[in-house]
Amino acid sequence: MTSTTNVPILDAIDPEITDRLVTRRAAIAKGAAVGSTVAMGLAMASVPVALAALSREAFGQGTALPADIKAVLDFALALEIFENEFYKAVLGTSGSAAQNAAFVGVRASITGAALATVQQIQKHEAQHVAFLEQQGATSALTATDFDFTGGRGSGNGPFKPATTDAAFLLAVAQGAEDTGVRAYKGQAGNLIGNNDTTHNAVLEAALRIHSVEARHAARIRRIRRLAMGAPDVVRLSGTIRGGGAAAAGATGSPSADVVAAFGKIYGGATPESNTTHVVFNGSAEASINAASLSGIMGGTDAVTEAFDEPLTKAEVIAIVQPFFIPSLA
Amino acid sequence: MSEPRSSLVIDSPEDLWRSSTRRSFLRLLGVGGTIALAPTLFAACSGDDNNPVQPNGGGAQLDLSTDIGIFNYAYALEQLEAAFYSTVVGAANFATLFTDTNERELLTDIRNHEVVHREFLKAALGSSAIPALALNTTTVAALTADRATILKNAQSFEDLGVAAYNGAGKQLKDARNLLVAGKIVSVEARHAAAIRDARDTTGRAFAGDDVVIGGLDVKMEPAAVLARVTALNLVTTPISVAKQQTDAATADQPAPVAS
Repeated sequence: MTSTTNVPILDAIDPEITDRLVTRRAAIAKGAAVGSTVAMGLAMASVPVALAALSREAFGQGTALPADIKAVLDFALALEIFENEFYKAVLGTSGSAAQNAAFVGVRASITGAALATVQQIQKHEAQHVAFLEQQGATSALTATDFDFTGGRGSGNGPFKPATTDAAFLLAVAQGAEDTGVRAYKGQAGNLIGNNDTTHNAVLEAALRIHSVEARHAARIRRIRRLAMGAPDVVRLSGTIRGGGAAAAGATGSPSADVVAAFGKIYGGATPESNTTHVVFNGSAEASINAASLSGIMGGTDAVTEAFDEPLTKAEVIAIVQPFFIPSLA
Repeated sequence: MSEPRSSLVIDSPEDLWRSSTRRSFLRLLGVGGTIALAPTLFAACSGDDNNPVQPNGGGAQLDLSTDIGIFNYAYALEQLEAAFYSTVVGAANFATLFTDTNERELLTDIRNHEVVHREFLKAALGSSAIPALALNTTTVAALTADRATILKNAQSFEDLGVAAYNGAGKQLKDARNLLVAGKIVSVEARHAAAIRDARDTTGRAFAGDDVVIGGLDVKMEPAAVLARVTALNLVTTPISVAKQQTDAATADQPAPVAS
């Protein structure tokens, strides 16, 4: 392949990416480290794979990420760091001795397949953090910026039982994962841009993280239901039945503050109990109440389970702020 | 360099999920080769063909350049999933194949959700909807033969659904439509995780290293998804792409085929 054959291929790509590729290509020629996907693409002589990975990694240079994308990715990064640090504290692998010590009481009761699940989830959260940073997202948050009891630094917030009670810990983990799913869903529309390759690449990556968070939430539901006495509102299909605090299926006697928090996690302007969804056919908007469709089975429960709902950025911040010591506003 | 074969014989439904079969299939599509179904499968198809191909525009035609076309693509996939689970849960021997009430809850829930997805998309599309897809009953029977086969194929369907929505999202031009697709894809991901977990004892398969790579879930472009659907020989209604997507394809991370 000669260099001239590269020109039309690159011309078809967003100019902003093309500019970055030129310097990136020069860097690779000089032996700079490239990510494994690029290396694999080059090894396979697969131009599309290498190009796609390059255009992604090109944004890792982090100079001029479009402002709308930067805002979404920075927000996502804060949430991913929160999740990652939470699971590391649970597992005892946090960089903060105090965070590890906080969960020492519950740690021994997370064993076997449940432990493997928490490890697998934490691995993904760490990968999400690394991926978002590679795209150019930035955050100053570290392990000590969190209070996983939801006390904003008091260490004595309403979620403190999670440090001693495995069933409650997993209910909180479920809530964190579902908040993540709802947060990404709420931001997707902000990544459409002009349907340009830059926005498309980031939107697609966000969707692919979004579905991983949903997988996490589903598995946690199954552990709770099969091994920890959760009620059948916690579905073995991993889905969310109904909305508001009841949708969490919390066991024991959660405090009023915890119930209120779960109410926000499964509530909001478009609560998880919503059954009406809006589509646009190119000329007109239609609101369709899925609970009114003929031919469906399982009643309204099934309809609420069949659709996950978004949270706005403000709603997400209201949910997670108690766990972050710095202000998110 | 290998010599491309000019024909491919598909002997059994089991062949259809196999990557070697799919590769041959895709290659043949690319070079205009011939694909032959073994006589048993072919005979089974003919009796089910309630939607005979009409010249110039029969079957299900997808215009992937519009949101409506992408929704029709999703509607086609939801039809297949709903039919698969409806067959499983509606079978007279459902409770015999699945003696565990937890597994019956799992599959009944998913059947209900997929039917809701199908009926919702049908309503959203209105007069723009593609027709109801006619299915090859022999393939359906093979995919739903016993408990292990059902769970295995359910896993393949769910992972494929996740990959399809993840790959198609960027084609949607309207934020309202993207949101609806987002509301559905995370439910498909929950299903995929739940089915995988029902087949697993390690605690990791729900989002295993075969399906989440570098923290990212599977994604496939429509052409790759439709090739897999075609290779399954599940649908007798011809599905064709009348107009290609407008936004550039990205590299696929294909949904694994369950084993």
